[in-house]
Amino acid sequence: MANADRKPRTRRRTRASHVPRPTRLLRIIGQTPSFLDSKGRIVTDSVPVPAEVLSPGPRGYRVCVVDFDASKGTYRPAAAVPRGQANDRYLDANDSVLLSDPGFHAQNAYAIVMRTLARFEFALGRRVSWGFYGHQLQVAPHGIEDANAFYSEAAHGLTFGHFTGARSGKPVYTCLSHDIVAHETTHAIVDGLRDMYTDAALPDQAAFHEGFADIVALLSIFAIPRVMRASIEKVAKTGRPVNAAWLKESALLGIAEELGSELSPSLGRAEALRRSITIEPDPRLLSDPAYQEPHSRGEILVHPMLNAFVDVWSERVKPFVRSGSVTATRLWEEAAEAADHLLTMSIRALDYCPPLDLTFGDYLSALLTSDMVLVPDDSKYGYRDRLRKHFGAWGIAPSSKGGLETGAWQGPHHGLRRGQAISTERVHFDSLRTDPDEVFRFLWENRSALRVYDDAYTRVTSLRPCKRVGPDGFVLHETVAEYYQKIDCTANDLRSLGLKQPPDMDGHQQVTLFGGGTLIFDEFGTLRYHVRKRIDNLKHQQEKLEYLWTHRLIDRFGRLGSASVLAGDERFARLHQARMGASLSRAAEW
Amino acid sequence: MPTKPTGPVQVRMYDVGFGDCFLLSVPYATGARHVLIDFGTTHGAPSAHMLSVAKDIATTCGGKLTAVVATHRHRDHIEGFATRKGGKGPGDVIASLKPDLVIQPWTEHPKAAPDATEPPKDRKALRLEIQSLSARQELAASLVARLKATRTIPRDLDYLAGNNLRNVSAVENLMRMGKKGKAEYVYSGFKTDLSKLLPGVKVHVLGPPTVRQTDTVLKQRQSDQDEFWMLRLKMSRPPSKAVGASLPREKQGTASRVPQHARWFVGQMKSIELAEVRSIVESLDKAMNNTSVILLFEAGSQRLLFPGDAQIENWAYALDPKRGFRKLLEGVTVYKVGHHGSRNATPKTLWNLFKARRSSGGKGLVSLISTMPEVHGSVNNRSEVPRETLVDALKAAGPLHSTEDFRGASLAQTL
Repeated sequence: MANADRKPRTRRRTRASHVPRPTRLLRIIGQTPSFLDSKGRIVTDSVPVPAEVLSPGPRGYRVCVVDFDASKGTYRPAAAVPRGQANDRYLDANDSVLLSDPGFHAQNAYAIVMRTLARFEFALGRRVSWGFYGHQLQVAPHGIEDANAFYSEAAHGLTFGHFTGARSGKPVYTCLSHDIVAHETTHAIVDGLRDMYTDAALPDQAAFHEGFADIVALLSIFAIPRVMRASIEKVAKTGRPVNAAWLKESALLGIAEELGSELSPSLGRAEALRRSITIEPDPRLLSDPAYQEPHSRGEILVHPMLNAFVDVWSERVKPFVRSGSVTATRLWEEAAEAADHLLTMSIRALDYCPPLDLTFGDYLSALLTSDMVLVPDDSKYGYRDRLRKHFGAWGIAPSSKGGLETGAWQGPHHGLRRGQAISTERVHFDSLRTDPDEVFRFLWENRSALRVYDDAYTRVTSLRPCKRVGPDGFVLHETVAEYYQKIDCTANDLRSLGLKQPPDMDGHQQVTLFGGGTLIFDEFGTLRYHVRKRIDNLKHQQEKLEYLWTHRLIDRFGRLGSASVLAGDERFARLHQARMGASLSRAAEW
Repeated sequence: MPTKPTGPVQVRMYDVGFGDCFLLSVPYATGARHVLIDFGTTHGAPSAHMLSVAKDIATTCGGKLTAVVATHRHRDHIEGFATRKGGKGPGDVIASLKPDLVIQPWTEHPKAAPDATEPPKDRKALRLEIQSLSARQELAASLVARLKATRTIPRDLDYLAGNNLRNVSAVENLMRMGKKGKAEYVYSGFKTDLSKLLPGVKVHVLGPPTVRQTDTVLKQRQSDQDEFWMLRLKMSRPPSKAVGASLPREKQGTASRVPQHARWFVGQMKSIELAEVRSIVESLDKAMNNTSVILLFEAGSQRLLFPGDAQIENWAYALDPKRGFRKLLEGVTVYKVGHHGSRNATPKTLWNLFKARRSSGGKGLVSLISTMPEVHGSVNNRSEVPRETLVDALKAAGPLHSTEDFRGASLAQTL
């Protein structure tokens, strides 16, 4: 009885003192195992990740780590994960444990994936789904003996390779590279937010997937204070004046080179990241054959983002440099702030992107618009001006020619004919936030005003209510909906649609044309933006048709322009292979 | 010394299972001269069969070959050159025919220096590409072996991997024959001595292009790729011994040990692994095909084209109007169908040049195809070999002679 008396008391005490914490801290490798601090230790940091009760793996509500090695055919059972905020088994582990304990590898991958996901959810103000039907992303930290890492939609997961370092002869684990884990996680998230971005399209779109994943990975790393601090401390001793060039050379290049040192040959990381920073902007490169491959072209997207980051960073530290009070701490704190702001901007812009056929110019307009909505006054650090300038140096102009601010998207009323109006008379405000059928009704009723082509299959694919904190501290409720349109025809039908059939295309060739748009409603159910790719934009459709045909981007059923040229599980793995020599031209085949 | 052939060039086409073997005979007043183009197999031809083929070649050429051409290193093109202890292999028979000349692509040069006139920088690139090819060959072999250790692999992948395995005996025999006679390691535009050995016949080398001949963008990409493959091979080897950071050895997992929640994912990962290995083997296969020597024999009104397994990337150089080969190609009368009739070895640009096609108002293009159905690819993804649409086009263009026509009935057919 005594025992029975004691137990409930304990339970009561626990309950009374239990305040659920939203996050817990987990230790991760800040960059790569080869990036060491001034004392020669691996730079690590404890980062907050959403708190949850984890099963062995770790397996949580969004991520399951499964330590199976497909090359060896071996499965490594996972250790139990201690509960509680302070319980990080690896908090004080030394470097050799971090490198050789598979449990830490699993924790590192889990924490970086969760951190990246949480970063997206924070920026977008809502839960973010993966790009497959399922809640839990499977992660294999030692999935394959290969110098590769990839997201596979079909496998619902990320596979990280391990291999022997070509230079050092030591084992290299891609799951310990923050940059690679964040990059692949970003693929999985973007695939959930914009699943048509993996479809066959003009080269900007695939390049966006790669470039954007790099932007998220790099800015996430810059936002880890200890990484920046270690990087800055290394070069602070040189005594050179602190300015943009110094920051760029020292901190950024340092990080990029470390990231790539062992991994470069596998994923082309070092060269790619270095080029992303040092390449001289040249508008001609956009049409250069060497820059049509997604990873290379993606470097062009990373460059202006990183340069805007360096500009803002140096602007932020200028007063301290002037007054002679600049310290390493000040430098990395400001870097983390600037990286964080740009990261939020980059992610939020996704909501303002068209659902398909994305171009770099579209993304720039989306960046400008999403930031303008949230931070109307950009005068302090001039993020948007700097982005316009650095994109401009590449000849990338915003796709929007007007808007409240240069390059931002125009409102939906732009281009309405006299007397035409967007009507919400017959739609219900509440349903518009939750029901795709209601959004479709809105679209259909306004098809003329919104220039939605009515002779095509049309479907609303997603509807996402989101909350964000506005510049005045008030919570903004927005709703983002996407729809697409599709026409299946043969080459013989192209003329009647106003398109030219490529001369060497057989009349019976099956062709699919796509169009669509993103609708952004404000808290009153008023349409604020309609970011669209019209299916009846003949100039665009003709350009895309000719590009797809020249590259014979035909699916396995022989259809041109259809959603999947490659099967889902092959798309990203193949992309990484393609970088190393797969031919893209199939124009002369039988 | 004869000055010109006394009649048309004859081609004897051998059935070697899945593989190429063609004997060209040029008649002269002093007796015919013979050129053997490829002697390989991968399917359905036991070694006794290959020996019979070798003996038939010996009889047909009367104990003397003027030249041997090994278009590229794949087993289905060189397997027959392998020798055996005791000197009774098919390769021994061919060696006894004492070819005056052995022609191979520049990528086979033993010292990786096919052209001493190349600037050192280009020579370096050539060497790099040759080393990269063998690195890829080694890598693919080890990956397939690894895969086979844990499961049964699909038949077509097994075939492809086997075809890309090194055949040391055949390679060495070709080298030895080259040393005894003369060895040429050729590239596009190379002036071959074969033209001298066959008076009145002009022999043009159309491919493969060297690294120097490829345009700058591709060249850079090529050398990046070469380095990539060599590093990749290093990466696939076990870590050096004293490294300290290896994971503790896992227990060999069995299906029952994988927890229920992970089984579906484990199955998916196995497919991913298979797809990865397949893509590496396929890319190696293609790179190897693209080292194929492309020869065009010009004899009187006859023009015979032997492109080995050259695919589009190899052809792209020769088909560029700047090279001046287009006129020659227009006049082709006999076409050895590239790569057993696969979909990407007869570029449409090339096809459209052939004036002998009936559809272009010609007398008919004679095509020779060595093939075997259901070895390569599948109809579903339009990768079957031979590709149906190509076979239809060949039949419409003129007489098509296939090894399929006489398989089992006789060893060879003379055309």
